[in-house]
Amino acid sequence: MSTSTGRKQARTTAANAPAVGTMPHRMRPSTLEALGLGSPGGALLAGAGPADVAALVDRVFGPPDQRGAMVISGANGIVGAGKAMQFAARLAPYGVTIIALDLAGSPDGLGAQYKGLERSFGPKAAAAIMQRIVRMSYDGSSLPPELKAYRPRFLLEAVPEKLDLKRAHYALFREAFPGIVIRSVTSGFPAAQLGVGIAHPAFPHEVNKVFEVVEDAASDLTRLLWALGLIPMAVSDHWSFVLDVFFCGLMNAATRYHERSNMPFWKIDKLVRRLIGANPFRAHDSIGARGANFLTWSCLHHLAQHYGPLFEPTATLAEHKDSGMNWYPPDHFRPVVDWRTTEADLEELRTLVLGPLFQMTSIMVHERRSDLAVMNALCELCAQFTIGMPAMIRRTGRDEVLRTVRAYHALHPEAAGTTWYPEVFDALDTPAWQQLHVNAEHDGTSGVITLGRERYNADVDAELNRAIDHLVKAGIRRVTLMGDMHLSTQLVGADTIDFHPALDDEAAGMRLATDWSRTARRLHTEFEVSVGLVDGKRCMGGMLELMMHCHYLVAVDHAMLAMPEVTLPVVPGMEGCHWALRRAAPADRHKLVNMLLGGAPVKAKDAVGWLVDHSSDLGGCLRVARSIMRDGASALAMRPLEPGAFTVEGLNGGGQGDEARKAIAACIQAACGTSLEEALAVQARHSATFMAGQPCRRGRVGAERDKVMRG
Amino acid sequence: MRGSFREAAVQRRTKTDPMYPNARIPYGTWGSTYFPAWQASPLAEVNIGQFAGEAMARIMALRRVPVRALDHLVIGSTVPWHWKFWNATMVAGCMGHRVPGYHVEQACATGLQAILLAAAQVESGASEAVGVLTFDRTSDSPVGVFPERRAYRRTEVISDVWDNFGFDPSTGKAMIAAAGHVARKHRLDRREVDELTAHRYQQYFDTRRSGFMDRYMVPLDVLNVQGRTMGGIAEDMGVKELSLDTLRGMRALETCVTSGTQTHAADGMATLLVTTAEKARALSPRPEVSITLVGKAEVRVAPACMPEAPVVAVQALLERTGLRMADMAVVKDHNPFAVNDAVFARVMDYDWRRMNNSGSPLVWGHPQGPTLTRVTIEALEEAVDLGGGNVLVFGCAAGDVGIAAIFNVNG
Repeated sequence: MSTSTGRKQARTTAANAPAVGTMPHRMRPSTLEALGLGSPGGALLAGAGPADVAALVDRVFGPPDQRGAMVISGANGIVGAGKAMQFAARLAPYGVTIIALDLAGSPDGLGAQYKGLERSFGPKAAAAIMQRIVRMSYDGSSLPPELKAYRPRFLLEAVPEKLDLKRAHYALFREAFPGIVIRSVTSGFPAAQLGVGIAHPAFPHEVNKVFEVVEDAASDLTRLLWALGLIPMAVSDHWSFVLDVFFCGLMNAATRYHERSNMPFWKIDKLVRRLIGANPFRAHDSIGARGANFLTWSCLHHLAQHYGPLFEPTATLAEHKDSGMNWYPPDHFRPVVDWRTTEADLEELRTLVLGPLFQMTSIMVHERRSDLAVMNALCELCAQFTIGMPAMIRRTGRDEVLRTVRAYHALHPEAAGTTWYPEVFDALDTPAWQQLHVNAEHDGTSGVITLGRERYNADVDAELNRAIDHLVKAGIRRVTLMGDMHLSTQLVGADTIDFHPALDDEAAGMRLATDWSRTARRLHTEFEVSVGLVDGKRCMGGMLELMMHCHYLVAVDHAMLAMPEVTLPVVPGMEGCHWALRRAAPADRHKLVNMLLGGAPVKAKDAVGWLVDHSSDLGGCLRVARSIMRDGASALAMRPLEPGAFTVEGLNGGGQGDEARKAIAACIQAACGTSLEEALAVQARHSATFMAGQPCRRGRVGAERDKVMRG
Repeated sequence: MRGSFREAAVQRRTKTDPMYPNARIPYGTWGSTYFPAWQASPLAEVNIGQFAGEAMARIMALRRVPVRALDHLVIGSTVPWHWKFWNATMVAGCMGHRVPGYHVEQACATGLQAILLAAAQVESGASEAVGVLTFDRTSDSPVGVFPERRAYRRTEVISDVWDNFGFDPSTGKAMIAAAGHVARKHRLDRREVDELTAHRYQQYFDTRRSGFMDRYMVPLDVLNVQGRTMGGIAEDMGVKELSLDTLRGMRALETCVTSGTQTHAADGMATLLVTTAEKARALSPRPEVSITLVGKAEVRVAPACMPEAPVVAVQALLERTGLRMADMAVVKDHNPFAVNDAVFARVMDYDWRRMNNSGSPLVWGHPQGPTLTRVTIEALEEAVDLGGGNVLVFGCAAGDVGIAAIFNVNG
């Protein structure tokens, strides 16, 4: 594979891509476009999903009667074993055999992970998945003759991070199987160095669906990953791509702070978690310190060679690379001395951690390593960041970002010698930065708003408001709200981290519930027709409250819908205690009450008529939404919304339970017992009062806050 | 011949020439925990070796010294602790820097001996920056079971702290008996010993109130196994002001020894660095202050005469260096019994009111290993306050041993 300028940028063109379009006007391009999959708006216009999995399996592995196999080499390693199980589970229905290839005598990595597979799928399904995996051994220099019978069509290489070794491995396969598609799981080497495309998976490998993908043009293989429910993300062909620049960069920054402060790793982890959300040291130990330390060092080492001392691995990291030692002490050395921190300590930590990450981000943005939305999602989905680095930079603001980098250079002068690009932060007001999670597109008459974050938070709220403004300003009166079909495979509810201030300040809770509810109401009041389309596997809590504000709720029939607030516990704050009840027939309201007081999920197909207006497969849902966009109520009858006060039966039974159930029951009673106009404030008050009380502080939200903030 | 060699050696050096010309103690890079009395604090519940390592990292952080600057660690303790076999390597691991090192143990002389050995390590050229880390936990001290074929019980069980205090296997006597014996030998007057003790309490509490201790004492919070704070170590817990009247009213346990005129068992750690001159300038917040070791002496006196061993060591040291008590800017000792100071004053014709100005172990306690380290730190701080000068540090140790050293603070 030759290096091409085209591949240096993440926005690949979609050669051989199926004809999936986009809507002509959009705030920013959809992240799906880089995969040759069009956009959600395009899918809506087409009335069909962007890709068909069976057709793509045929294209990648051959037709059923000549089905080829997928080979995973290095299958006993952490990555190889995890991916073997993941692909076996997803490709089993299509008759694709997974060949797990590794050196003779390598320890049984698949066996080591089998318990986890059983936990996820149950014993029967796990056994069935393993039946699709054929294990083979080889000597590293010649392939087993039996391999040919399986017609290998795709090699996912997961051998050790040694360039010569990998190249020799590819030559071996190409000689034996000309035309085989090869992807490397490397976390660092560019495709130009390896001579093959990249499919770099994120940890934990048996469950994480994200792959960083580097290829000349969006391929059938990448589209197949998407169609299998995985999350391929297009990134450019630069050292360490995107994820490992953040992951390794944060680790290096944390060790640098350790070297300045002597602070033990466990304490730094606590403070970094509070600052960013990630535990870099714990993460390395969890992955397996010996391997993870080496990979992190290796990425940084190569980055330092290409970019400069900003990336130079610290002596501490190098020591742990050599020794393979864990970062946390063993249990018998659980820490005994606490570290009190001063404001000055915390400021130094902030500077030494955020400074390099800001500088690294500027380099990656300058190089256009990926869409900013993808860059942000990689931080959140794979690197444990509470909010992605682009979102943090946006919140921080250009001037403060630059000040932080300057302060960092004062503490680590060598890093100032690495070129960086402060000018990229001049563009923070552009849609690429402003719409990291929420996008909008339209065709002049109807629009689509997409949510690219699984959890609703203040950033999503602000972006959603901007998206609504964008469409309203363009005169769009019909809108569909849906997932982005890419970065958010489900919509799980509110980001409870945003609740933390409300635990001590009822007014903060009131503001949160009021603001978010007002945003949700805009979907009802500012559009002639709005459709909430649940296209993923779940829609829960705050996200379901948001969706139910649309005039129609359409959901794929296997989607699980739930209001799990009672289990946290919190009282729903985005009008979940009255809005759906106002649209349900009186005889059906008890079903919604049961959802609210029990917290149990219900399948979308079982909620048609009282919560959901239509349920079918994805294509069917897209076509119904398209019809509603085009024909309004004549396409599907709209359930009316009760504007006045009414009484809800069945709340007494629910009120016999714990404090959360009583509080939710009281909220239902009060919010339904008043007008639609008044109900927003009533529900917000109930939600805020409960959040500031003991039951919430003692619950999961309070425990999570205490865990993060303590120490 | 011996005399002439010694005279020649004295003649070759000026009186305050360093004994180890390349070794320095970087001013202000030291620190100590408070010494909570036996069983009075959460320190009674921790592995003191682990605690000391972690506490040293914390203290070095407060002094802006990265532990990575160290290339060797000399630890000192006297009461066995879990995994002591692993010695300085274990403690260094808990400190966060895997340097080599070794363990020193010489009862209550441990703290000073560790400093001296660290200086020798630097002088040898083997190391540039040596951490001295001394610690002990007397609380809940371990109990050893020793097969002893010559004992009629065949197996002896020893509670490490209390049984050793009560029985010197060389003499068969308790330490307190040695104090009484020396008091009688020197015909000490109980009234003077009580007055001296009252003065020591006054010195300690005056120092505490002045804020002087804040320069080197480091309060620390101790965590339980769940990672929650078990309690703070923010004072020498168990130390209460004692008036002269109270002291006079106390029951005599031995000649001139009451519960007030002897120290108490305690827990804690103390640490300082010994480095090359260049490193000292780089690490110290006041690089203009130069601290060197002028000389040292160790003696062993007659059986059961431990409290008079320090004065004999000081005499030997003064003779060797050619210095006089009048040359000392600061005089400070480890005084488990007030008798020690009274004997020293009488033999050396030195006013006991002029020594131990910033407190002493008689009052703040006796965790053994770190005791003389804290004494040294306090003495050096006092000398810097005075603008420099010679610092005499000395003390006694189990086995009728006396140890003394002179430091010179220049600047």
